Amino acid sequence: MSERPDLGRAMREALPVFEASPSLQAWAREEARKLDQESLPQREPLTRPLRSRVPRFAQWPIAAGLVIAAAAGWGAGVLRPGANLTSSTNATTSQLVDAHVRSLLPGHLLDVESTDRHTVKPWFAGKTDIAPVVVDLADKGFPLLGGRLDYVDGHTAAALVYGRRGHTINLFVWRTAAGEPGDGSFSVRGYSVLHWSNGGLTSWAVSDAALSELEAFRDAYVH
Amino acid sequence: MRLVSHADKSVEVGRAEGPQVGQFERVVLPHLSAGFTLAMYLTGNKADAEDAVQEAILRAVRYFSTLRDDDARAWFLTIVRRVCFTAYRTDRPQGTDMISIDAVGPQLVDSREQPDMAAERLQVQQRVRAAVDQLPPLLREAIVLRELQSFSYAEVAAVTEVPIGTVMSRLSRARARLADLLHDVVDFGDVA
Repeated sequence: MSERPDLGRAMREALPVFEASPSLQAWAREEARKLDQESLPQREPLTRPLRSRVPRFAQWPIAAGLVIAAAAGWGAGVLRPGANLTSSTNATTSQLVDAHVRSLLPGHLLDVESTDRHTVKPWFAGKTDIAPVVVDLADKGFPLLGGRLDYVDGHTAAALVYGRRGHTINLFVWRTAAGEPGDGSFSVRGYSVLHWSNGGLTSWAVSDAALSELEAFRDAYVH
Repeated sequence: MRLVSHADKSVEVGRAEGPQVGQFERVVLPHLSAGFTLAMYLTGNKADAEDAVQEAILRAVRYFSTLRDDDARAWFLTIVRRVCFTAYRTDRPQGTDMISIDAVGPQLVDSREQPDMAAERLQVQQRVRAAVDQLPPLLREAIVLRELQSFSYAEVAAVTEVPIGTVMSRLSRARARLADLLHDVVDFGDVA
């Protein structure tokens, strides 16, 4: 060999550096935004000055998308501002969004991976006290990806996972208990949340897809 | 997970978000991949490394207000390292906690090189990996932080939570061990 590299060059050529996966990056950004929204105002000043702050929605592509959606005339009027939610509903929707984001981490989305409802539905038997309706809605644009068990807001939930044009929809189902909020739609940290109850089961759909997409999903799922 | 060459190292997380996003996102998240790389070298596998970084982010969020100085990278990697040591490594036998070199593709071989030159460089790269692999964990993390991630001695000391003198001693021992194995292909200057 004509020229020997020094140790640093030899190591940089031989050893890889790694990049955090996109889902880990997305999850971390979500955690950062939670901190920014919930805690920063109470914190002591940091050593370097904050740059001038712009309204949150302008920083947030998803929220901006919702604004555009509202301006386009759909979705307007159904998004309820967080201030109008009761605190318990607020806590529930926040936990649902947490569960949704957590599910997108590598290896967390599916316990049973199947597009076959005859595989997914029996999988829940014996693991939960409910038998959620499992239908593949691929013909309506919402292919069934699978399911998993989750724990949200004190409930063991059956989570059904559907796809929608590159988005993931988590449908959390648990037995309706006293004091459940009424049907409604919510926007939580840029995620859409849609809630409905029927047949003794309460259902929450969560996604980063537009609320109108979730409503189309609900209509397809319920019928 | 994507492997990135060092030429791409400047492509870091969060750059596309612009400067106006929150403080934590701006200060800490650019070091996510550096933290993940350290976790990969400490835990030896992607699943544990991702779990460790996830836990580190949760802790970093919780303790963000304690970050006082400017070196967010060293601060965040200190947390990553603590998580790796407490949760993902102490229960493992020594020597099983390194990435298998088979899992790592050939790096940075210039396709314009003559085939025999390329083969020779691949062989050198494999020898370097194997040599780093057999280092004891404390020496390995020091040399990886210093030579692979280009940390200053002070930063290595901060991340590994030991005095600078200890860092220099560890680096010196690591270099001596590597020199024993690699002196014919790597220039160690005075050490060899």
